[in-house]
Amino acid sequence: RETMSTAAEKSTKERLLSVLDDLEVLSRELIEMLALSRSQKLPQAGEDTQILELLVQRDREFQELMDVAQQQGKVHQEMQLLEKEVEKRDSDIQQLQKQLKEAEHILATAVYQAKEKLKSIDKARKGSISSEEIIKYAHRISASNAVCAPLNWVPGDPRRPYPTDLEMRSGMLGHMANLPTNGVNGHLPGDALAAGRLPEVLTPHYPFQSMDVSVGMLPPHHGNDFGLEPPGHNKENEDDVEAMSTDSSSSSSDSD
Amino acid sequence: MAAVQPQLEKESGDDSLLPLVHDIIKCMDKDSQDVHQELAKLKTKIQEAREQISNMPGIDSSPVEQQQQLGMLRDQVRNKNQLLHKYKGLCMFDVPKAS
Repeated sequence: RETMSTAAEKSTKERLLSVLDDLEVLSRELIEMLALSRSQKLPQAGEDTQILELLVQRDREFQELMDVAQQQGKVHQEMQLLEKEVEKRDSDIQQLQKQLKEAEHILATAVYQAKEKLKSIDKARKGSISSEEIIKYAHRISASNAVCAPLNWVPGDPRRPYPTDLEMRSGMLGHMANLPTNGVNGHLPGDALAAGRLPEVLTPHYPFQSMDVSVGMLPPHHGNDFGLEPPGHNKENEDDVEAMSTDSSSSSSDSD
Repeated sequence: MAAVQPQLEKESGDDSLLPLVHDIIKCMDKDSQDVHQELAKLKTKIQEAREQISNMPGIDSSPVEQQQQLGMLRDQVRNKNQLLHKYKGLCMFDVPKAS
């Protein structure tokens, strides 16, 4: 049983060479024995018959193994074809994997961009302001003393160009700078930045904040040039705004 | 490979060494001088058989091992084919039908 198991573990080549060695040895022994017995004229002791039987047995074994080897050669051919097939499939799979990776990358980028877009849409929806209100506000700014103070402006007159100090403070910039009512004088720019405040050079500084400057900035005939209306006409202006916005909307619809 | 195959098949029938041994014994019986020639033939035959065995493909393993390797290769090809078929025929996205 042991010889059977070792024979099964051995490669066919090893077994073939081993049997061939046996054949060589046995044939040599047989020939030598026959030669010796003939030269010495000794009666054969039957040993040569045993050797002959062994030789025949090994020869049959050799032929069987040669047949097995032929079959293994055919199987080897089939295996080579299969190996080629495996290589081809491997390269196909690698190609497919590469394409899938590319697709994944493209999709990941697209998803990221879409998410960013959704974020900005969400942000815009949360802080939505009606366009009509913006137009109204724009008209209000342009129709009142938004650009420059009226000609007959004197200190203490509330009519002044936008934005006023109060509006600046209530705006986003004002909140960012956290401006105190008495200004930021005495702070160095570094300190102000560290404290979350704007340095003086960066604080909004408009000509109308200083009387001398605002008077100096005003052109001599500026009231006539710009045709600003006196105070108290704001209500009428708002009516104009309504009329203008209606006109513009109707004109735009006409153009369509 | 195609050229080797007929040669192997041709030689598969005359692998036996017994005819040569028989010839040698016959020569010895006759006390012929051809015995040396016959002995040389046997040696050459054995040497050729060794070379042939060394050059035979696919006999570096036992038939059992070779069948296992063959089975593994067949499995590999089948699995890889299935994988490719699965991924190539896979519909990645549910495309909404235009209604």
